This record gives sequence, C-alpha cells and structure tokens, in this order.
Amino acid sequence: MDRTQFLLGVSLLLFSLGLVGLIVRRNLLVMLMCMELMLNGVNLSLVTFASRSGSVEGAVMVFLIFIVAAAEIAIAIPIVLLLVRERRTLDAGAYTDLKG
Amino acid sequence: MIETALLVLFATAAVVGAVLMLLLRHPMRVALALIGVMISLGGIYGLLGVHVIAVFQIMIYVGAVMVFMVYAIMLLDVRDPSFTERYSAWLWPGVAACGVLAALLVGAVWRGAIPTFTGPGDRFGVQPFSLSFLADYWLHFELTSVLLVVAVLAAVAVIKLRGRHLG
Amino acid sequence: MTPTATPITSPLLGLIVLLPLAGFLFNGLLGTRLAGARLKETAVNFVACALPGLAFVLAVVAFLQLLSSGAPLLQASYTWAVIGGQRFEVAFWFDRLSAVMTLVVTGVGTLIHVYSTGYMHGDKGHARYFAYLNLFLFFMLLLVLGRSLLVMFVGWEGVGLASYLLIGFWFDDPAKAAAGKKAFVTNRVGDAGFLIGMFLLWGAFGTLDMDRINAAFAGPAGAVVPAVSASLVGLMLFIGACGKSAQIPLHVWLPDAMAGPTPVSALIHAATMVTAGIYLVARMSPLYGQAPEASAVIAAVGVATAFLAATIAVVQNDIKKVLAYSTVSQLGLMFVALGVGAYAVAIFHVVTHAFFKACLFLGAGSVIHALNGEQDLRRMGGLAGRIPITFVTFAIATAAIAGIPPLAGFFSKDEILWFAWASPKGGAPWLWALASAASLLTSFYMFRLLWLAFFGRSRMAPEVEHHVHESPGSMTGVLLVLAGLSLVGGFIPIAHFLEPMLPLPAIPEALHHSEKVLIGIAVAAAFAGLAAAAWFYGGDASRAARVRDALAGVHRWLTNKYYVDELYEAALGRPLVWLSDRVFLRVGDRMLIDGTLHALAAGARRGAAAFAALQAGSLHRYAFYAVLGLVAAVLWSLRHG
Repeated sequence: MDRTQFLLGVSLLLFSLGLVGLIVRRNLLVMLMCMELMLNGVNLSLVTFASRSGSVEGAVMVFLIFIVAAAEIAIAIPIVLLLVRERRTLDAGAYTDLKG
Repeated sequence: MIETALLVLFATAAVVGAVLMLLLRHPMRVALALIGVMISLGGIYGLLGVHVIAVFQIMIYVGAVMVFMVYAIMLLDVRDPSFTERYSAWLWPGVAACGVLAALLVGAVWRGAIPTFTGPGDRFGVQPFSLSFLADYWLHFELTSVLLVVAVLAAVAVIKLRGRHLG
Repeated sequence: MTPTATPITSPLLGLIVLLPLAGFLFNGLLGTRLAGARLKETAVNFVACALPGLAFVLAVVAFLQLLSSGAPLLQASYTWAVIGGQRFEVAFWFDRLSAVMTLVVTGVGTLIHVYSTGYMHGDKGHARYFAYLNLFLFFMLLLVLGRSLLVMFVGWEGVGLASYLLIGFWFDDPAKAAAGKKAFVTNRVGDAGFLIGMFLLWGAFGTLDMDRINAAFAGPAGAVVPAVSASLVGLMLFIGACGKSAQIPLHVWLPDAMAGPTPVSALIHAATMVTAGIYLVARMSPLYGQAPEASAVIAAVGVATAFLAATIAVVQNDIKKVLAYSTVSQLGLMFVALGVGAYAVAIFHVVTHAFFKACLFLGAGSVIHALNGEQDLRRMGGLAGRIPITFVTFAIATAAIAGIPPLAGFFSKDEILWFAWASPKGGAPWLWALASAASLLTSFYMFRLLWLAFFGRSRMAPEVEHHVHESPGSMTGVLLVLAGLSLVGGFIPIAHFLEPMLPLPAIPEALHHSEKVLIGIAVAAAFAGLAAAAWFYGGDASRAARVRDALAGVHRWLTNKYYVDELYEAALGRPLVWLSDRVFLRVGDRMLIDGTLHALAAGARRGAAAFAALQAGSLHRYAFYAVLGLVAAVLWSLRHG
C-alpha cells in the first residue's frame, strides 16, 4: 500500500467518524467537536496531496481552513451559550422549534 | 523505515482518538480526545515535511480553538439528559449510513491508482511558504481577514442580542 | 326592380340618429341631478321633446331632398372594425322605405314624448323615463337607417334593451320586472334566427350591406345565383321578425308588456318597435321574392296569428290587454301582406296602424289617468259624456281599426285582403277567408271595448267616479292630432310612393272584377262587428253574459290564451330549471369545478403535510438525511465517474 493511499484512507475514516458523531451524539458541544474532527480529516487529505505533489496550493488551502474554522468556532460557541441560557440544557433533542 | 512506523503510529493514534470521541461520556474527556487527534495530525504533517502547517495546526487548532472549546465546556457544566443518554435515536441508522460511506470512499481510494508524485522539497519551510503564499494568494489572505472582522462583529452582536432576545 | 340611382352623401342622417342619443345622455346623466322638482321636470320635458322634434324636422328635410333628387342618401359614418380583409362600417342609408319609416318613428315618437310629459308628471322616475324613451328612439333610428344588417342588428338589440328597461320601468313590482325579462328573453330567442340568417348571408356574399345583397338577389335571373338558399335565409330572418313582432310562437311577451307605462305601450309596442320585423322583411324583399317557401310560411304564420290573437282579444277584460292582442293580430295581417308579395301594402298598413293604434293606446292611457289607475273594463262605463275629447278620439280610432270607410284603416286593410285573395305569389281564398274572419272579430272586439268603456251605466267604484276628469292639454292635444291622422291617413299614397322600390305583384286580369265584391264584404264585416257589439254590450250586457255561460268551455280556453304560457312553462321552463339545478349546479359546478379545486387544494395540503413530516426539528435527523444524500452522490459519481 502506498503511503498516500494510507493517509487518504485515514483522512476519510476521520471524516466518517466525525459524521457519525454528528448524527449519534446528543450533546451540542460534542456535536461541535465532531464538526472540527471532520474539518481535520479534510485537512489531512489536503496536506497529503500538497506534500506529495510539492505544490503549495494545498497548504494554502489548509491555512485558510484554519482561519475559517477559528472564525466559525468563535461564533458557534456563543450561539450555544445563548441557547443554553434559554433552555438550560445541552441536549439537541430539546431544540426542535423548527418542527413543521 | 522509522518514518513509516512513526506515520502508522500517529495515524493509529488519530483514529483511536476519534473513536474515543464517540464513546466517552463527559464532554471534557471528548475534548481531550480531540486534542489528542489534533496533535497526532500535527505529527503526521511534520513527518510529511509540511512544517509550517504542522506548526499552525498546533498553534491555531489546539492553542486557540480547543482552548475556547474547553472554556465553553467548563462554563456549561450542565448535568442534563445528554450526560447520561449519550446517543440520539439515530444511532444505528447513523452508524450504518456512515459505515457505508466510509466503505465506499476507502474502497474507492484502495482501488484507485495514485500517480507518483515528487517529494515536498523544501517549499514548506516558513520562509519559502510565506513568500509564495503572500505573492500568489494575497487576495485570499485579505478576504479571510475581512471574514475575521465580520466574525468579531457577529460575536459582539450575538452578545448584545442577549438582552433583547430574552424578552 | 328599378336600379337605384347613385346615392348622394348627406350629413343629415347621422345627425338624425344622434339627436335622441344626446337627449338620452342629458336626461340620464343630468336629469336626475337637476335641482328643484319644477325646474327639473320642465328641463327634462323640453330636452326630451325638442330633440326628437328636431330629428323629425331633419327627417322631413332629408325626405324633400330625396324627392327632389330621386337618389337615396348615404352617409358612411365611420369604420367600426377591420378584421383581416373585411371592413365593417357604420353607414346610414335613406331611401324611400327608410324615409317612410323614419318619418313615422320621429313623428309619432315626438307626439308620444309630448303626451308623456302629461302622463308621467309627478312620477319619481320622470327623468329616467325620458332618458330611456330617447334611448329607444336612438336605437330605432339606427335600425331603420342602417345600411348593413350589422348596424340594423345593433339597433334591433338596442330597442329590445330599451323595451326591457321601459316595460320594467316600475321595477319595484316584481311582476312588472318579470314582464320586462320575459320580453327580453323571448326577443333573444328570435334573435338567434336573425343571427343565423346574417351568418348565412355573410358567408355567401362577404358583405352585410343590404343594398348590395338586394342587388345580388334582384339581378337578372340566372346572372348570379347566390350560393345560399334564399328560403333558408328568409326563414331565419323571419324567426327574428317573429320575436320582435310578436308572432306565434313568440307572441307571449307582448300582452305581458302592458305592465309598462301606457305611452311606452303606444310607442314601442304599437307604432314602432314591433314593426321592425315588418321593416326587415320589406327591406329584404328581393330576397323574399326568390324565396316562395319562406313567403308561404310567413303568410301562414301571419294569418294564424291574426285570427288566434283576435279570438283571445274578444274575452279580455283589461283595456290594455285588448289593445295588445289587437296589435298582435294587426301585425299578423301585415305579415300576410308580406307573405303574398305585397310589401308596399304592408308598410302602408304599418303607417296607418301607427296612427290609430297609438291613438287607441294613448286614449286608453287617458282613460286610465281619468279613472286614477283603473284598467278593468268591468269597472268602467258611461264615460262618454264625462271625458268627451278622449271619447271622440277613441271612437275615431276604433272606427279606423275596424275598417269603416273612409278612415285610414279601411284603405290599408282592404288592400291587404285584396292581395291575400288575388296575389299571384301565394294569394289564396283560405288566406283571405281567415284574414277576413280576423277583421270581423277585430271590429267586434274593438267596438265591444268602446261600448264597455264609454257607454251604458257606470260600473265604476264610487270614489273613482267622483274624480273622473279630462286629461291635460299635453295629452288631449296629441290625441286630437293622431285622431286627425287616423281620419285622413288613408289618403296618403304610401304604396304608390314605394312603388319604384317595392313593386306590387301584378294581379291577373281574370280576378280584377272580384275587387268590388271583396271591398263590399269587408265593409259589411266592419259594420257587422259594430252592430254585434252594440247588440251584445249595449244596455246591461246581459246577452253577452248568457252567451259566455253557454260557451263556458270555449271562453275558458280563450281567457287562458290557449294555455300557451303554461305549455312553455311545462315544456321549456321546468326542464331548463331542472337541468340547471341538477346537472349544471350540482354536478357541473359543485362536483366538478368546486370539487376539482378542493381536490387540488387538498392534494397540495396532503403533499405539504407529507413533506412537513420530514421536518421533525431534530438536527440528527437532518444530518442523517445529508449523509444519505452524500452516499447517493458518491455512488453516482463512482458509477459514472
């Protein structure tokens, strides 16, 4: 097995595990962390391709993803804080207001 | 040789950390597992020769994002149903669907032919990387700085909303 | 048929037509808003009478112009529509026939307007009445002056509309409003025939201009054979005429139309509108000249109507209903004349009939006015001395319609009977016999009317009798004018005047000797009717009562108008109502249309509910769906990638 294939497989596995976590875990904060895991999996595949091909674009993309992920988490956590202030629970099952 | 062993080691650590994230109950422990995953990934990046990214992985992800997450967890130490009941009603359907997805994707990678690449060279040191980054992708850099400003404004607005929102 | 000379253009015609329209606009829009009751009535009266009067003057001018130049007047007003290569113009045509009709319409019309100022004094719909009356004149002039069948049809429909508005003038009474509706609907049935006739003509000739169509039919035999059966078109147009001129089977609206004010009955349902059917057939005489089958039908229907209406009139007790059935009967006689090819004679009778029938109706109006609304003959009597002017004019007009020489009715009716016997184009003894019987009955029931209303002991209610008074000058003056015309109108040589346009059929030599005999029989019949009426109804009318009891069955049939209305109700009215309710309302409207809409809405609602069920508000569920989508996308790209 080639090193590239191995690393790609790992990245896809990390992504899938993050997705599973998003579906199965109930805690809002844990769901957020699973989303971070998904991002990391994607980062890994980008870096693999960047290092293999020697082109800098992949790394640039990863750099930008860092920044975006930071911005995203900076907003997501305050949102969760506000929600919890309302309902006093971190259970995702309690937030079904969009039921229609 | 040693490189491959280290690579496999770090990769395994990442996967194990990810699985632990799904199994552990306390959010704090889940956060620690995630930190472990991220550090392992940083190690992989370093082994691949992409040093600048490895450094930034630790600095930004672990040093900023996860610290913020840990603060949030400590702040919201709520004992609620999600504590005892870890899993939602979609456990088995979710595992099944994602298992299928993973199988498909990994299987595709296995069967696919990866063309041979050249090595990383020394393009990923801090100085060469910065030069080529800012020379070719300065626009993206500026745009992301705008994004960060907007994020700061949004955070301020969200906090200010609190007073009106609770009405 | 003499070829018509090249027409000359004249702006008079449009003006004649538009003057009454201006009156309608003024009275309709401003008349109801004028301040003060006195001023309003005077202003409305003035405008309403002056404009038709002016139109009459202009008609006389145009008539003199026609006489001096010998050529018809034409005015092409404007192009109504251009569809493809076809032009539809609004054009007016003034030849001898139009001249006669226009003079009658404007002349008698103006007189009746003047009469109405007295009759409708104090009515709360005063301005509206005159607006409608002017509107009627406008449409009637459009009808008689129109060059093409299209313009004529506009006028045709318009007079039907005005008739509906005026019959149901006192619409607060539902029975009167229903009478107006009945008139309109019956007219529409006839109009279907008119329209089919128009379509056939247009299909054959590509034009609806009557002068051009007539030229095609009257052309040298064999030169151009019109591609449509003249008889078929003639029958279709005659169906329209039946509706408008109240012939069997579309006669049922005219007696009910008596619900309107009496001057309306005089103008519309005696002198002008109902003669529109006669005018139509006379105008299209070259077509009917080529249609012997249609002419035979016209004569048969006309004589049947004349006879049957006369029989019904004998037993009527309402003064206006007698006159209504009399009108139907006289129209039947006119159609007999048309059916045997004596078109000019029919028009002659139209003119004399306008004079004496208008006089009769207006006289009846005067009687009703004097008796403060009483219309039942059984509660009248002995009025001769108390309303002398009305009595004298009424008597003159009655003598005219009965055919007493030398009054107007004698001349015109006698011509009709003569041609019914002797015309080579369909004249037959049976036609003459039935027509003569109808004339005998006419004389009888008209003198019956005169005796019951004016002679004998008074049968009036006491408080009515106390207030009997002669009508005001505006009404009696008109009565005098019309009575005078009934006296001398027979001497106006109308048939001769129309000869160049509407030649009379040539009577074979062999029959000429019977003319004097027939005249004698007709005069004898008229006097016989007078004598019979005097004998039955003079004194205490007990003889009439005994005859009535003896023939109770016949009397019942006649009083119920041969049960025609009931027949229509059973054969047409009830099935239509059933169809509308059961089929169109319940099945068509509620089940199909509403049902489809409801089903669509319900379907949309159910579909939306199904989709809404997908949104349970659970984030995990949404994420799961996303994964499913992702798996599908990956599968697809693997398969096709």
